[in-house]
Amino acid sequence: MATLELHSIVKRFKDNTVLDDVSLAVDDGEILVLFGPSGAGKTVLLRLIAGVLDADAGRIVIDGEDMTGVDAEFRGVGMAFQNFALFPHMDAFANIATPLEARKTPRDAVRAGVESVARLLKIDHVLTHRPRALSNGQKQRTALARALVGSPPVLLLDDPLRNVDAKLRFEMRLELPRLLADRGATVIYVTQDYKEAMALGDRIAVMGQAGIRQIGTPEEIYLQPAGLDIARLFGDPTINLLDVRPSRDGQGIHVALSGTRVELPAAMEPSVGRACVAGLRPETLHFVKAGTKGAVPVTIEAETPLNEKTVTLARTRGGREILVSRPAGTPGPDHGEAFLAVDAGSVLMFDKASGERIAAGGPAAPRKRATA
Amino acid sequence: MEHTSLIERILRGIALALVVVFFMFPLLWIFLMSFQTNETILSIPPQLFFTPTLQNYTALITGKLTSAAGTLDIAFMRNLWNSVFLSVTSVAVSLLLGVPAAYAFARHKFRGSEDIAFTLLSFRFAPPLLVLLPLTLYFQQLGLANTYFGLVWVYQLICLPLILWIVRGYFEDISADVEYAYRIAGHSWFATFRKIALPLAGPGIAAAGLLAFIFAWNNFVFALVLASADKQPVTVGALAFVTASGIQYGQIAAAIVLSIAPTLALALYAQRYLVEGLSLGAVKG
Amino acid sequence: MKAAQLALSGVDKFYGPVDRGVHAVKSLTMQLDEGEIVALLGSSGCGKTSTLRMIAGFEAVSRGTISVAGKPVHELPPVRRNVAMAFEGYSLYPPLTVRENIAFALKAARLSQAEVDAKVNEIAKLLEIEDILQRYPSSISGGQQQRASLGRALVRSASLHLLDEPMGQLEPQLRAVLRGRIKHFIKERGLTAILVTHDQTEANALADRIAVMEGGVLQQFDTPTVIKEKPANLFTGTFVGEPPMNVFAADATLEGGRVRLDLPQGVSLTYPESEFAPQVRDRLRALRQVVIGVRPYAVRRTTDGVAASVATNQWLGDQTHIAADFAGGTIVLVEHDRARVGIGDTIGIGIQPRHLHIFDAATGEAVVHGMELA
Repeated sequence: MATLELHSIVKRFKDNTVLDDVSLAVDDGEILVLFGPSGAGKTVLLRLIAGVLDADAGRIVIDGEDMTGVDAEFRGVGMAFQNFALFPHMDAFANIATPLEARKTPRDAVRAGVESVARLLKIDHVLTHRPRALSNGQKQRTALARALVGSPPVLLLDDPLRNVDAKLRFEMRLELPRLLADRGATVIYVTQDYKEAMALGDRIAVMGQAGIRQIGTPEEIYLQPAGLDIARLFGDPTINLLDVRPSRDGQGIHVALSGTRVELPAAMEPSVGRACVAGLRPETLHFVKAGTKGAVPVTIEAETPLNEKTVTLARTRGGREILVSRPAGTPGPDHGEAFLAVDAGSVLMFDKASGERIAAGGPAAPRKRATA
Repeated sequence: MEHTSLIERILRGIALALVVVFFMFPLLWIFLMSFQTNETILSIPPQLFFTPTLQNYTALITGKLTSAAGTLDIAFMRNLWNSVFLSVTSVAVSLLLGVPAAYAFARHKFRGSEDIAFTLLSFRFAPPLLVLLPLTLYFQQLGLANTYFGLVWVYQLICLPLILWIVRGYFEDISADVEYAYRIAGHSWFATFRKIALPLAGPGIAAAGLLAFIFAWNNFVFALVLASADKQPVTVGALAFVTASGIQYGQIAAAIVLSIAPTLALALYAQRYLVEGLSLGAVKG
Repeated sequence: MKAAQLALSGVDKFYGPVDRGVHAVKSLTMQLDEGEIVALLGSSGCGKTSTLRMIAGFEAVSRGTISVAGKPVHELPPVRRNVAMAFEGYSLYPPLTVRENIAFALKAARLSQAEVDAKVNEIAKLLEIEDILQRYPSSISGGQQQRASLGRALVRSASLHLLDEPMGQLEPQLRAVLRGRIKHFIKERGLTAILVTHDQTEANALADRIAVMEGGVLQQFDTPTVIKEKPANLFTGTFVGEPPMNVFAADATLEGGRVRLDLPQGVSLTYPESEFAPQVRDRLRALRQVVIGVRPYAVRRTTDGVAASVATNQWLGDQTHIAADFAGGTIVLVEHDRARVGIGDTIGIGIQPRHLHIFDAATGEAVVHGMELA
């Protein structure tokens, strides 16, 4: 129902520049995830949009209207806070009703509005409870209901699932897309959890170094990260990073891993002869039989199951650690020696000095899991 | 570990009992004195058993002080009323001024805000005698001496800093996000102050008000210098019991009982708030 | 059979007077073999931390016995139990550097300086804290403090290593590799370790066996595989596993050579009777009211399955989580490829009988796993 534009936003706290020349445009009805480590300025950016903090420079435009300097109560945004920020002296009903009451909504309409959003979020049975008497999950849903109830055109969600347990977080992660889509709101969603970012975002803006490092669809961020730092933030287990120096001979471009020659696609041309870091996602590595062409010999150190996956910690001949993940229940190697096949098409190559990805020409390679 | 031995518990009980006796004995003794005549009070050895008399209280209420030298008019009930009026009005004015100021100091950090807040607090540190002489001169010139208005004004020196600092601590304890949430919901800053900040700081405001009331009630020096007999509170009025013909211990005791009764009752009633208010606001600030 | 490295026998813990206070741990009996890693898993207030504190000696045992390496220890003070512990709240000694913190117990054990240095350097490398060894606890991050605390516990030689929520604060990028290294470290040295955690992912990753606790009662004590494939009751089944097990109330009927499970909103699953062992059929016939559970990875999309409308499709890079409206609730599927289904699409839900868990609706006890009696 609204677009949101940020133009060259600057925000400083004393001598610390938290946001430096940040510009961003969010489409009508889009869910944009602000993702990054704590201290990256995500929450500050959200508060600038909400109008509870003022930017030192730059403009904030909501639906074509310049909102820079406009007080929070006139911006028409909804916001849910990480710590819920419920009003402790009001019951859940009164908490949720506050945005409607601000607009002098008739009492019947307030009741109807609160009850319908409470039913949607499955908290209609605790509306008479004060926040103190609510469970963490119910608090979080109450906070969300308060943000949603007025159907604000712009919805700001500040890590709303941070303070609930893993099970509730998972449940909400599945529920949220439909809830948000039904409201049609333009959403800015802040999180530190890459899974939430990938699951919920139409686009993800990765924050770092007082600005936006990369912005793109989950696919772009995961498959074509702009740099090492971004590649490391996405994926569990974390991407394997190995120092390599690709070279070329008559048979093509290749690197040496654990004393074995691993062929790389022709698109890796720009990396030849440079000090590079190869990024190998754990799920693109597969255990294969001894003697398979291009198989890298490794020693198995430990196997740790991880949520429907099995993660293996292996060590190369050169003593480097490699994490390999495979779907739980699929056969894996025995302890001791094993061999790994590297899916050359999915190798990410970064410049060692700058950490930036060395653009591999052509589209992202199709990702298909070979069976071990 | 979590078990304590029997001996430990007994010893702790004895220690606590000693502390209680040490602090409560004077109060108890005064309470007993107030029902005795001057003769029984001054008899040696002191009598533990005596025929209680209400004559001290009658003397106070009727305003006729009887001593060996004869009868003297005193304005004790008038003084008591003055105390109530001065304390209540001062605290009310302080709350009216101090609570919004405390909110401003807690929420809006501006250049010099710390300095202003600290200057206000320093009024509490300054010895009253230091300001008394110039104050008396000003008040006489301005015609404020010996008026309730002037006294209430001066009492702000006692009440305002106390309320400001305790309540500010309470406001700072309210998560700013809670207030932001109310603003974003579409309410003005004033509505946020009224509907969110005030109710949440309620216990702190009550504690601060109570404490300020006790301090105002107990004040002696300002009232001694700036008020004449008809505006004096009980603390000053009690001086009248020291007469040329001797000290009327029984009547003093009764006067003390009457004058501490309201504050004692208030303090007992709101003990929990007081402790909370002091530890949350003043210590932190 | 080897002697148990740690044995708890009929251990009770009451806060307040025995038999009248809060009953935090209820007649807990369990044994750990030497060289085993065991996780005490449960939500807060389940009794796992009380148990750990009783083993360490910070908390008195109300009833029962605890022995370490065959020797009763429950009346000994903590220092005489030969137990090393990593605390949840890091608890490093603030006036000592990270290096001194880790070396503390080694020096107390009168190791030579060279030995101390070698051990500290090894564990520091493993936990990636080499560059902060000279720093003081107050100047390092929470994750680093936790790694230092873990190092201090692991570096000691002790009969038993207790790790209280050892990885909760760790930087997410380090978690997977550190889990692997720590498991390797413990196994290589044959240490016996107890890990207390509320995070079932952690428990599954590190432990040889998991003790699931709830309400002070040990619910199940078995290997991660058995707990996943044969949960003893509904609690264990839904607590362990992420995404959690899908559960639905169902009516079981047997007629015409078929087993029929009626779920809410007219959804029914039918299987040939021959798929289930005869004893299973008898139990189902007797029970009727059941709860069925199926793990998300076991739910398949099939053309002949029960129709369900896709509510969301979330790709996480290496897994896809699909939620679909099913039987008045939501059913979750996990696929390891990228699934190309859109919101609102109709998919067929297939649940094979060998993936079915059936619980008694009244007691929550497991009745059937796969086609066999639990």
